[in-house]
This record gives sequence, C-alpha cells and structure tokens, in this order.
Amino acid sequence: MPFNQKPEKFAAKINTVTIGNGDKAIALGGESVLPLYTFDGPIDNAPKVGVEITDLGVEDIPGVKAYYEGCGSVADMAKKASEMEGADFVVLSLKGGDPNGEDKPTEDLVAIVKEVVAALGDYPLVVEGSGNVEKDNELLTKVSEACQGTNALIMSAKEENYKTVGASAGLAYGLNVGAESAVDINLAKQLNVITTKLGVNPEKIVMNIGNAAVGYGYEYVVSTMDRIRNAALSQNDDTLQMPIITPVSVDAWSVKESMASEEDMPEWGPAEERGIGMEIMGAAADLVSGSHAVILKHPQSVATIAKMIKELV
Amino acid sequence: MLLFDIVFNGNDKMYAEAEEAVNAAIAKYGEEKAVGFPETAYALAAYYAETGDKITNLKECKAGLEYIKTQMPRERRLDSVFKSGVATALAAEILEVTKYIEGDPYEGISEGAMTDAQLRELGVPLVVYDIPCVALIIHAAPSVQEAVDLVKSYQSQGNFVCLVGGIIDQLKEANYNMGFNVRVYPIGDNISCAAHAVSVASRVAMVFGNITPGDKVGLQKYHFERFRCFVNAFGPLDEKTVACGAGAIYYGFPVITNDMEYTPSVPKSLIKLADVSKFNKASLEARNIKIKVTNVDIPVAFATAFEGEIIRRGDMQVEFDGSRIDSFELVQTKELTEIEDHKIEVVGPELDEFEQGSKNGIAFIVEVAGKKMQPDFEPVFERKFHAWINGAEGIMHTGQRDMIRIRVSKDAFEAGFRAKHFGEILYAKIKGEFEAVVDKCQVTVYTDQAECSRLRHEVAQASFDKRDERLSSLTDENVDVFYTCILCQAFSPSHVCIVTPERLGLCGAVSWLDAKATHELEPDGACQVVEKVGLIDENLGAYESFNEAVHKYSMGALERITMYSIMVDPMTSCGCFECICGIEPFSNGVAIANREYAGMTPLGMTFPELASMTGGGVQTPGFMGHGKHFIGSKKFMAAEGGIQRIVWMPKELKDVVADRLNATAKELYGIDNFADMIGDETVTDSDPEALFAFLTEKGHPALGLDPLM
Repeated sequence: MPFNQKPEKFAAKINTVTIGNGDKAIALGGESVLPLYTFDGPIDNAPKVGVEITDLGVEDIPGVKAYYEGCGSVADMAKKASEMEGADFVVLSLKGGDPNGEDKPTEDLVAIVKEVVAALGDYPLVVEGSGNVEKDNELLTKVSEACQGTNALIMSAKEENYKTVGASAGLAYGLNVGAESAVDINLAKQLNVITTKLGVNPEKIVMNIGNAAVGYGYEYVVSTMDRIRNAALSQNDDTLQMPIITPVSVDAWSVKESMASEEDMPEWGPAEERGIGMEIMGAAADLVSGSHAVILKHPQSVATIAKMIKELV
Repeated sequence: MLLFDIVFNGNDKMYAEAEEAVNAAIAKYGEEKAVGFPETAYALAAYYAETGDKITNLKECKAGLEYIKTQMPRERRLDSVFKSGVATALAAEILEVTKYIEGDPYEGISEGAMTDAQLRELGVPLVVYDIPCVALIIHAAPSVQEAVDLVKSYQSQGNFVCLVGGIIDQLKEANYNMGFNVRVYPIGDNISCAAHAVSVASRVAMVFGNITPGDKVGLQKYHFERFRCFVNAFGPLDEKTVACGAGAIYYGFPVITNDMEYTPSVPKSLIKLADVSKFNKASLEARNIKIKVTNVDIPVAFATAFEGEIIRRGDMQVEFDGSRIDSFELVQTKELTEIEDHKIEVVGPELDEFEQGSKNGIAFIVEVAGKKMQPDFEPVFERKFHAWINGAEGIMHTGQRDMIRIRVSKDAFEAGFRAKHFGEILYAKIKGEFEAVVDKCQVTVYTDQAECSRLRHEVAQASFDKRDERLSSLTDENVDVFYTCILCQAFSPSHVCIVTPERLGLCGAVSWLDAKATHELEPDGACQVVEKVGLIDENLGAYESFNEAVHKYSMGALERITMYSIMVDPMTSCGCFECICGIEPFSNGVAIANREYAGMTPLGMTFPELASMTGGGVQTPGFMGHGKHFIGSKKFMAAEGGIQRIVWMPKELKDVVADRLNATAKELYGIDNFADMIGDETVTDSDPEALFAFLTEKGHPALGLDPLM
C-alpha cells in the first residue's frame, strides 16, 4: 500500500515573540504545526539555543573554563558566549543575588547587567532572576530599567511576583516577560491569563513551564508540554499560545549523574562528559516535546543541539 | 453660589491666566520657541493623553488653548461641569509649561513636574498596588499637627502623597521629611501645579495601561477603574481649586474637603468632612481602597510550621475547652457601615487573670463586611481558623464551631501573648487571604464566661442552625450554577469535577460552597462557573453546557458527562477519591470501599485495585470515585435508582454515613434503618453469594430493581 501523507492542519498558531533588535534579533514560535513537524507545514522560526552565563563568573567545568579563558568580566563572557558556535542568544543568570547564597546587592547585579547590555548591543539577551521571589521583585524591576530598549526577555515572573515583573519588564520598559510555572498546564495557563490581565501584551510573553533532569520526573515535563501545544493548536486556546523557553542546564548539571566525580564513580566515566550528555538529552527531548528555545551552558552541548535543529528544520 | 458657577468661573480664571502667560511668552520669545517639561517623552502629558497631540512650542500652546476653549461648555449640566474641570487641568498644564521656558522654575523643596524615569519607578508599585493609591493634598490644613498626622497616616499605609499649596510650608515648619523617595512629593504652591499630578496619572495610563493618546473614553475608564487616586482639599476653597476638583471627579477621583460652606456635597465624589482626622478613612473608602495586611502583629512567631505543635498539660498556661465550658468561633456578615475595620475588643478578663492550668471558655465573633461578601463564605472562613490559630507558636487549636479547644503555652504567655492576639491573628489572616471579598473586619474576643454562654446559645447556635438549614436546603435544582474543579489536574491531566450542592468533589474536600468561594477569591483559578444550559436528559443529569465544560477543561480528553449516572458517561475520577463504588452484579447493586479500608470487597478487588480501574481521569462505566458525604445524597447514582442500590460497604464507613443515609432512605423510599440492610465485612468481605443471602434475609430493595446491566 502506498504511503499516503495526511498533514495535520490546525487553524491556530503559536505567537511569534521577538527578542533583541535589528539583524541579530531572534523570533520564537509562529508555527501552526506540532514540534518539529516540518512535514505537516512550514516552521519559519527554527528552535533557538541560548548560552547561559552567571554573575558568579566562569564555572569550574574544564570545557567551559577553557572556552571563556581570558575573560576578565561577566561582560567579556557575554560577548564570548554570543560568539559560541550554534548560539542564538545569551542568558545571564543573576543567581548570585539569592539571599540564601551569595546575596549580592541589587546595585552590583544591575551594574553587571548594564555592562552586559553594553557588550551585547542588539544581540538577544535573556535575564534570569536570583531564584528568590522577594529579591526578584526589586532586582528584576531594576534590571528591566537597565535593559530598556534592548527588547530583552526577563525571565522568572512567577505567580507570586508576576505583577511586579510583568509591570516593570512588560509595561514600564517594553521588554518580553518570561512566565514561570512548575510543570502544570493549568498553572501555566493561569499565569498567562493573569499576566495578560495586568496589561502585558500576550505577544510579549514567553512561557517557562518548568523542567527536570532526564530521569528525575521528566515525564511530567513531556506530558505538560504536549498538552500545552495540543491545547494551543487543536483547541485554539489563546491563553496557551505563547512560545516555550526551557532552561536545561540548571537541572542537567545538578544531578548526581553529572556531579559525581570520576574517582567516586569510575565506571561512569569522566564527569564532564556525563554533564554534557545530560544537557543534550534534556534539550533534545524538550525540543521534541514543544520547547521553542533551550538554555544550555557547555559549548559542546550548544554545538550539538544547534546541529540537531539544523538537520531537522 | 451654585456648583456650576463656581466651576465655570474657576475654569475661566485658569484659562485666562494660561492665555495671558502664553501671550506674554510669545511676545517675548516668538511663536516658535520650544516648550516642554524636563525629561519626558510625553510632552504635555495631560493634554497629549486627552487629545493625541503633542505640544512642543508656543504656537502649539496657543492652538491648544483654542482647542481647550471648545471644551468649556456653559450649559448647566453635569457634563459641562466635568468637561470644564478637565479643561481647567489642561489649561493649568499649559500655564505650567510656560514657567519652564527659562529652566526649572521650582527651587527648594518643591519639585514640580515628574520625570519619566521617576514615573516608571513609581508606576510599577502603583500598578501592582504596592502603593495602594495616590493622595493629592491641596492647601493648608487647619493646623500643622493635622497636616503632619494626615500625611503620616497615608505614608504609613504605603500611599504616595502629592502636595500642592500651603501644606508644603506646614510640613516644612514641622521639619517633615519630604521627597520622591519617601513618597511625599511636594509639587508647588500654585493650584496650577495640580496639573503635574494629572500628568502623572495620564502618563501611567499611557505607559502601563496601553491607552492610546487621544482615546478620551479609554483614558477616563482607565482612571476610573485602575488609577487609584483621591484629592484632599482644605478650605477655604476657591473657584480654581473646585474647578480642578471637578476634573478629578470626572476621572473618578473623589474629593474630600473640610470646607463645609463653599460647595454642595456630591455623594461618593465630593465629600464634606469637618474632622481632618477622619480624612484618611473617608478617602480610602470613597475610592474603595483596601490596605493589604500582611503582618500578623503578635508577640510570638507565626508560620505554618507551628501548625502541628502539641502543647502538653504541663506546658500550658491556660486552656479553653468547648466540650466542657461554652466556647465557639463565629464569622458573621455585616453591612459596611455597621463595623469598624481592625477594631479588636476583648470582653472579659485577660489571660493574666486566669489561674495557671485552668479550663475556661472563650468565644470569637469575627464580623466581616464587603461589597462582594456573601454569608455563604462564612463557614469557608471559619474552617480556616483552625490552621490560622495553630500557626502561632505556642498555641494549639482543635475543632471548629462550638466544639473548639485551645491551649496557650506558658512560653507564649510569657512572651506576651494575650486574648487580643487571637483577634490580631484572625484579623490579619482574614484580610490577607480573603481580601478579594472582605473590605472590613472586626473581631471581638469573649473571655467572660457568662457572655460566652449567652452568645453561644443565643447567637452562635442560631447561626449554625441557619447555616445547616441552608446547606441541607441547597439542592442541584435550586441553584443556578455549578462549578468545575480542576485542582488535581497536576497529576490527573484529563480529570474534571463538576461540583454541585448535592455532589461534592470526589476528594471530599470541595463542596459547592467551597467551589463558589474559590471562584470569587481567584476568578482565574481552578473553579469556574458552569451554567445549566441545554438540557439533554434530566434523569441522567446531562446538559450541553456540562459537556462543553468537561471538553474544554479536560483539554479535549472528555466529550460527555452525566451527573447522576455511573453507567452512562459517568464523571471521571482523579486519584484522590475518598471512596469508590463499583457494580456488584450478583445482587444488582453497588459496593463501596473507602480509602482507609484495607480488606477485600465482594467485588473481588481491594481499594487499591478498584482505584487502578477508576482513577486517572478516565470514564469507566460501572465504577465511580466519590466523597464520603455523597453517599447520603439524593443524587447518588440517582439515574440508576439512587442509594437503594448500595449493598455493601465497610463497617467503619457505614458508621460514619449511617445517619444521613437512613434519613435519605426514609425520605426517598420510606425505609427505616436502611444502613442495617447493607452488608459489611462482618457479613462477608469477599463472597457475593453470602452477601446475596444476607440481602435476601434483610429484604434489601436492590434485589427487586431493574438489572443494572
């Protein structure tokens, strides 16, 4: 029997969200097919890969350390990250601001953001908060001000602080807002609804629906993304038509598969390779399940995933 | 003088001053001379927002004045008053901009126009209501002390205070700290400075509200609904001030004044109040502003972590025990005018006067009022008391209504915990968690034994009875709407509960009243309204609207649902059901197992085995998850004949539901002691034939019904 292709057509469409300015700007979303289903219809904006750096400087992972060698500041790292093979955007994590960690003052972090903004120019920037809701209230307001005009994406608007982050990033300074929820379609939807009600343009919202390392309850992530993309396309649910961005690196590098040293686990092989593996597996699965952008940190993972996207779209 | 004349005259005067200033400036600098306020991209923002035109030079100022002239109708209609009020503010803005031609005219403490950067900094907390509102205070208060007290009262609530005129000098005299950073913003002396406050409102609407410049209707609507501002104007009033006030009222900003003579009052908009100490309350109320309460003001720690804390007899300072001595907790709905917010009163002795280790009575009457408050929420609030009071370190609380027991530890007592702090806890938590429906809350703590007894019998009991009556009178037929509940979709993605008065959520935790309250408190949350529209089959409880709702909220996984059948499109189950019932074919009925029951059932399956058949949001005809309380409901599988189908349940469960079950059986079928006809594990835990023999002996009605399958 001959193969008879029946493209799955949807009347609905994922919103297109632009990050950055000018030629270097990237667009997320815009398609009306399931993830990577190029055989059903066109995907004009291929999924994008972001490179994460933090205000805490270069991490102690040989491949990462080697790549950023010679960088004297976070701004230098940002510049270098933007030049990484396969990179589409840079992600600056301000986790040094967490009161339970380094607790860096807001002014210091904002100064770093300003330097990074100056170093990157029009190049697309995504900023992640400290991870602490209360600190982020103050921090992300100031960060939004520092990013005015860059069309950056400010992540970490959660149910507890979406008003402040949404109002500052989305309303006051005209940036994109990353709505962060914890692997639950209804929470993701509710956050989109209330952020939109606040007055933020739905076409300026990107969802971070949460993530897990592969093997750590990752099935929930797949099923949540699946359901979100299905609701967005087959049911034309415009409260779920925002593109999805997924921070992969944080979870991938914080599980025992990537952290246990080679001395402790000789049969597992070099730690770095395992971390890269966790990153690549997670990112590949996220893209297949519905992410429009993934955030990674190892140059090798970035290059690999970029290549995968290129081959598929 | 009539209000019309005052406003029209004031408008004319402001206009004349602006015209004169513009003409003088043109004579001096020429028409092309650029004008503007410092560091703003919105030109003359009030004018820009109203008209969509940016004024950038003196020529455009003149054209602007010509336009404003057309907005000054003089018919004696309210509409003319409003238009003239806005025209006054716009003229004032043009007058102000002429002052800026030779640089910033405001020196010293006064700050004049606000920059865009300041506005954005202010806008974020304004939009999220961290700054509850903006107070514009005009002219000098009757005394310096009153000026200081009023400003301090607003400031301590987190409000942003703008000052125009004499009050600035009064605060200066009192060495009061002013400035943008402390949220007390002195604008300037002349009433035309009020234009800078209007400019702030206009820019907030354009920046944060996406209001298109020139969209008059949208602007007015935004101000009315979103921008929370009011005006306090001290007498003696003058025409120009009143004309500006008319503009404020047009935008929905109430004006409160202590000038009792000059103007007539307008309910909710122009309020006359001689006592300045009442300005704060009156202003907030007029603009419908609720101040967020987040702190629980008690001398011991407060956190959910203390909820499970047990206070042993030896550690306890004093005990209140409702099972021995009359005690109760009660929420009552009142009118807004009847109660005073944050009034906490203790009637009777303080804790110091009780003997250590003694057993006493206590009563809390919490009176709440709010435009959206409904008496149906009272039990919902009351049920939270347990968790709240337990949250205080060193306090233990069990039970509810008039069966409460509270212990206060010696440590908590020594730290200063007293009876009034119960009031503080209840006040703060009610205002914090239920701010969507509670505008005012007042708490009375009774420790006087005679009063506790009297109130328990006269007030509390009556309320509880009335509430129970309401609950039992609530039927699926006499309410207009049901509610969805998708709280558990996190782990059961396609499950949707439809909660009705006679069928609570299958978890047993969400009644129709809970769902209703959840919907009011969180309109975008898990509980949404389902109307009863498009009847398909009354007996099954099938409606088009229910089908649409489950289709929508299950993301397309479910197509149809019935409310009262376990055979035809039964409601799905998540995994958190209290009970499961399944068909027992041999006796033509159903057997029910509750989660706590560990044994076997006549269906040949244990509870976990039944659960695997029933959960996961899948429709399995013949099986149904449900709450314990549903067992006594007249709607329990009503389509298949109702509760007379129940042939078996564990003894423990039967004891819990027997009273309601018997009452329902009596009412529906005239059967006495129906529970005794139902088999349990003492009859058989696994043998359908033994069960059948038992049912036959008891004359169980299920045996005579039509076959289920």
